[in-house]
Amino acid sequence: MSTPSSDVLPLLTRPSRFAPLWANWWIPVAIGLLILLAPWIEGGTPYAGVHWDKFWARITMLIGINLTLAVSLQLINGIAGQFSLGHAGFMAVGAYMGGYAVTAHGAAAPTDGDAVPWMNPGGALLFVLAVLLVTAVSGLIAYGLYRAVRLLARLHPKGPVAFMWLLLAWLALDVMLKTKGVGGVGGGPASNPLGAINLLGLTIKTIGASFTFLLDHSSPLAALLTNSIPASLRKPSTLIVSLLGGGTAAAIIGFVVGLPTLRLRGDYLAIATLGVSELIRTAITNSEPLGRATGFSVSTFAVEADASDGTLATYYFPWVYGVALLTILIVWRIQHSPKGRALQCLREDEIASSAVGIDVTGHKVMAFVIGAFLAGLGGSLFAHYDGYMNPKQFDMQRSIELVVMVTLGGLGSVPGTIIACLLLTLLQPTLQTSEQWMPHWMPHWTLSITSFANQYRLVIYAMLLILAMLARSRGWLNFRSRGQATLAGTT
Amino acid sequence: MSLLDVDNISIRFGGLRALGDFSFKLEPGDLVGLIGPNGAGKTTAFNLVTGVYSPNEGTIRLAGEEIGGLGMAAINRLGIARTFQNIRLFGPMSVLDNVAVSIERCDSDGPFRHARCLIRSVARTTGFFSARSQTVDRAMHLLETLNLAHHARRPAASLPYGDQRRLEIARALATKPRVLCLDEPAAGMNPQEKMALTELIRGIREKFDVAIWLIEHDMKLVMNLCQRLTVLDHGQIIATGTPKEIQQNPKVIEAYLGEGAVH
Repeated sequence: MSTPSSDVLPLLTRPSRFAPLWANWWIPVAIGLLILLAPWIEGGTPYAGVHWDKFWARITMLIGINLTLAVSLQLINGIAGQFSLGHAGFMAVGAYMGGYAVTAHGAAAPTDGDAVPWMNPGGALLFVLAVLLVTAVSGLIAYGLYRAVRLLARLHPKGPVAFMWLLLAWLALDVMLKTKGVGGVGGGPASNPLGAINLLGLTIKTIGASFTFLLDHSSPLAALLTNSIPASLRKPSTLIVSLLGGGTAAAIIGFVVGLPTLRLRGDYLAIATLGVSELIRTAITNSEPLGRATGFSVSTFAVEADASDGTLATYYFPWVYGVALLTILIVWRIQHSPKGRALQCLREDEIASSAVGIDVTGHKVMAFVIGAFLAGLGGSLFAHYDGYMNPKQFDMQRSIELVVMVTLGGLGSVPGTIIACLLLTLLQPTLQTSEQWMPHWMPHWTLSITSFANQYRLVIYAMLLILAMLARSRGWLNFRSRGQATLAGTT
Repeated sequence: MSLLDVDNISIRFGGLRALGDFSFKLEPGDLVGLIGPNGAGKTTAFNLVTGVYSPNEGTIRLAGEEIGGLGMAAINRLGIARTFQNIRLFGPMSVLDNVAVSIERCDSDGPFRHARCLIRSVARTTGFFSARSQTVDRAMHLLETLNLAHHARRPAASLPYGDQRRLEIARALATKPRVLCLDEPAAGMNPQEKMALTELIRGIREKFDVAIWLIEHDMKLVMNLCQRLTVLDHGQIIATGTPKEIQQNPKVIEAYLGEGAVH
């Protein structure tokens, strides 16, 4: 074999002369964010003198949270091409996990008499660990069942059906034993003829015991953990625990849900993910500790006496935009890496992908899990900033909004998603407040147009989506030329 | 022990037995053809060996290792690569990327390979950059060998037909196969392109140390190129042998030209 000709290789390994201006767009973004974050990093109260307008403070935070959510959805919907309508579900998992960990277990310190909120990162951490333990164990059990069924299907085509019947028979036998007072599944007297099944009961009991131990946020272990953290760092560390807990819980749910559903394609996958997100929402709506349909107030910084919306925004601004930047960085770098190229192959042709040895389901699940993790982070931040949890906030409408952002931004284009996210999140408040900002010299009918547009905002969303599909199926804000070599050194 | 040992495999689709009692052996460095009329089951045989379908009966061994029933990706990783009758390239991706994905897949082996690769990519370690430049080098070598280097940055779908066929071969070779299955590589080519393809396939066998198994309708090309031939009709093997033997086999002539042609 000869060496590559000299006129080709340098072209491929150095940044292209024709690299678009926005190829290194993240550098100015990172510098800007560093400047914004600098006072916070130095310590003290950042932006203490800055006056935050209540309304726009809220919108600024919403943009940051939406950036996290939309860019993480871009990884699933755009880059991997797996059309998911269930992102709000992952967001809900993250939000409830993060919110509840802080509210129920991270608010009051075990040793502080005056019970300053936000001071018990140890308690929050133990709670997160407890929930993750239970989720992981149930996930493992579900995965084991799934592998067993797959193995049975390989051994004999009728295997899974026989397995189901056996399971049903076992359950029926158990009910019969229970009604006769002999015992049954999950422990019972030693006379239980199905003695081996006690193993299951023992497992459940062990998990339950460790669960109740971990749930005790005034336990010595929690106190030890909390007291090992300096008082000034307890607030941020509680937030970090809540963020990571929310993200990990969402990732685990993403894995458990992704394995079976990602075998589906196209419309079927969209319907399955929609079903999963509704399932999560319904489960939350019916859960007593999570406040059912009315929800609960998240015990955040907001409950401190002097917290107004302005100081709240001051505290959360670096967190929200830090997570957004992290998400953008992770998704962008994954896209321009071997795994990203493999995901792009899946989007183009699954059969050809497996013919070159790409593990189709594995890569889909990977994209799903990472997307869910990042959505969980966004959800947890949402819980903290919003301060009030309600299942209605995570309905299908929210998923659709995110899908519109991703689609308008261009499937596979991260910069496009960022711009679409900014525009669409700003659209509603801008239209709403048109009476305030519209100059007086503008003709009267401009106000009628903006108020009409405000009223029919959702209709306009849908029309934009249809127009985008008809006119530019790769997105209105997608600047990338079709054949640009992703290996050509622009990253 | 043969490199590829297919022993009595069969597959049924509902009531139709698409392939029955198909046995076949491939030694290292072989160049063997599979021919037969339309609908004879040639592509089905390919699909069984490359893992698109699992056989109902029989065993498939690659260097002694049973591979029947494994998935396509797993079989590819064990060393069988293929091309498709209807070209299946990653159309909007560049020619370079089409080859690079196959190379990058080979690079990541061992425990936790997905996690390690992800962390390397997100952290952009030096390993990431050296792996990337190695990938580009190897992909360009391969494209040079197959005379595609000047197209490297173009979208695969924009290539001329013959180049697309060659790119598919390049992509299959990038997975470092021990067996290369070519499904009608000359379909839609003009006589000059077919001549070039014959030379290319011979060259590939020498340079890449790979056994080649190919389906082809062009008899001239097959007789020219292959050492041995297998003839399929209605899902059954009707003849095996050297091209000369096959040309004179009355059963084969009957299968192609119909009954009463042998007179």
